[in-house]
Amino acid sequence: MTEAWILVYDQEAGTALTRSARALADRVVAVSLGAGALATADLTLTVDVAPGTLVEAYARPVAALLAERGATLVLAGADVRGRLLAGQVAAHLGVSPVDVAGVVQASPLVVTHPAYGGVAVVTEEVTAPVAVLVVAAGAPGPAATPPVSGSSAVEASALEPEPGLVLVETRAKSGEQVNLASATRVVGVGRGFGAEADLDLARAVAAKLGAELACSRPIAEGVGWMPAERYVGVSGATIAPDLYLAVGISGQVQHLVGVRGAKVVVAINKDKNAPIFAHADLGVVGDLYEVLPALVAAL
Amino acid sequence: MRIVACIKAAPEDQDIHVAPDRTLDLSRAAWKVGAYDLNAVEAGRRLVDEVGGELVGLSMGGEALAATKLRKDVLSRGLDRLVVVAGDPAGDALQTATALAAAVNEIGDVDLVLLGAGSADRYAQQVGTVLGALLGRPTLNAVDHLEVQRDHVRVERLLEDGVQVVDVPLPAVLAVTSGINTPRIAGMKDILAAGKKPVLEVTPPVGAPAATTRTVSVLAPEQKDRGRVLVEGTATEVAQQLAQFLKAL
Ligand SMILES: Cc1cc2nc3c(=O)[nH]c(=O)nc-3n(C[C@H](O)[C@H](O)[C@H](O)COP(=O)(O)OP(=O)(O)OC[C@H]3O[C@@H](n4cnc5c(N)ncnc54)[C@H](O)[C@@H]3O)c2cc1C
Ligand SMILES: Nc1ncnc2c1ncn2[C@@H]1O[C@H](COP(=O)(O)O)[C@@H](O)[C@H]1O
Repeated sequence: MTEAWILVYDQEAGTALTRSARALADRVVAVSLGAGALATADLTLTVDVAPGTLVEAYARPVAALLAERGATLVLAGADVRGRLLAGQVAAHLGVSPVDVAGVVQASPLVVTHPAYGGVAVVTEEVTAPVAVLVVAAGAPGPAATPPVSGSSAVEASALEPEPGLVLVETRAKSGEQVNLASATRVVGVGRGFGAEADLDLARAVAAKLGAELACSRPIAEGVGWMPAERYVGVSGATIAPDLYLAVGISGQVQHLVGVRGAKVVVAINKDKNAPIFAHADLGVVGDLYEVLPALVAAL
Repeated sequence: MRIVACIKAAPEDQDIHVAPDRTLDLSRAAWKVGAYDLNAVEAGRRLVDEVGGELVGLSMGGEALAATKLRKDVLSRGLDRLVVVAGDPAGDALQTATALAAAVNEIGDVDLVLLGAGSADRYAQQVGTVLGALLGRPTLNAVDHLEVQRDHVRVERLLEDGVQVVDVPLPAVLAVTSGINTPRIAGMKDILAAGKKPVLEVTPPVGAPAATTRTVSVLAPEQKDRGRVLVEGTATEVAQQLAQFLKAL
């Protein structure tokens, strides 16, 4: 019987991770850092996390626990905390963490991840005695996995965090719910917009089309005009809408990777030679400040 | 304070040629310093300007690192000097971090190691997490703001659902976000000065760790054929055509 270990610090993410783990193993054991028992796992080892302590401070004792229990397959989520936890656990186990965007086969374990900004997909077989996987949401596809129902046994595990980092405060983000993945129409905005207020031009078009608003990475992380959940691309969201309308986006490969699955791609850009036009079904050469208002009028 | 900024050179993705059988030809690609590594350089420069000390660039890689142009480019962004370790830029996070850890120890008295959000080619965002564990130092990723306060740095860490404020004792290892700052663009003066800055080549550690994975293939993903119709004209004309197209969907 194969066994997968998952590193959990949040119920919801833990449940998603169990689903990924079940596609790879018969039995799922969760190490829960302060998130309580996981109903979807066969066994949860619960660890109390002291206040003011980061879950990552448990990386070394968790690695020791995994080694002691003979774990050979360990999964963590591809979020900020999951990455740090996985990287440190892997290092303590003497292996490299493995980035997983897709799973080709479970045994021997063959996985894929993008490289060169999305120009390439690397397929690799995990050959190390322990696989520590950093699993992107939805990889492997939940469709292929049987419904989750663990026998949910619970064992308390007392682990000592490593001293050092002190969590002073946590500020929750004003959580706007974004679900780009399920949107059928998406309008994407890029650096062609000169000011934050100008995004209203795109919002007006999106309203007419019944579309969600998305953006390129610099709009989210460079200037911070939109939340990070809204940027599309190799390091952001992957979307597959019926229509993707890219406005003022140059079409760098890192961005385009995220919209490969779109049925129809339309681009508006003032530069006739913008790379996006080679990846669009319909390209409109023009200034977005003129074209968008005219488009709202014409729709 | 001595700060090390880790930078990786990678082939420019726009120069990568994809053959019809989806294999890649990297031979014509220019190697450039990763865009997000410049955020680490900039963050380091600002700290050193504020509290005094030295900013050392550290890069592990192959022949590309021998190029004067690349060395000058990165040195012109605010480094005081550059340390280069010969090694395989395609190595995994553990192999890379092992080489970097040895170099950090050789540089000596390093208070802070800074890394970018992710390398331009692998973008695994993992070298820093592994490096911190190997060096046995407090480690954080996604650092979006940092401030030196006596013997520690106070950082803001950007999570998916919020921000953590964390006190990190020095010496430490921190990977920054791509939004933490805007890297400076080097002027003529910086580029000229860069040519005079010292570059030290250190020997890689003996006995690299075994690879965790075996590469099966590196292929371009399948491309969808797009219509590629281009319309030009006055705003009203093209908007009409576009509206028609969108309504017909
Ligand atoms: C490791 C790595 C990962 C990355 N991941 C991502 C990712 O996931 N997603 C992502 O989006 N990017 C990502 N990037 C960044 C990416 O390389 C590009 O820098 C980015 O996508 C460019 O955004 P942009 O098209 O909005 O801006 P630009 O490239 O600056 O393009 C702006 C475009 O607007 C046009 N324009 C200007 N004014 C007007 C006007 N008035 N009317 C019409 N058009 C106008 C210009 O002609 C230009 O084509 C990543 C980069 C790296 C190195
Ligand atoms: N070969 C290297 N030499 C120096 N720094 C590196 C190297 N590889 C990765 N890094 C650093 O580690 C960060 C994360 O890399 P990665 O895990 O490959 O995404 C990069 O942004 C760099 O700061």
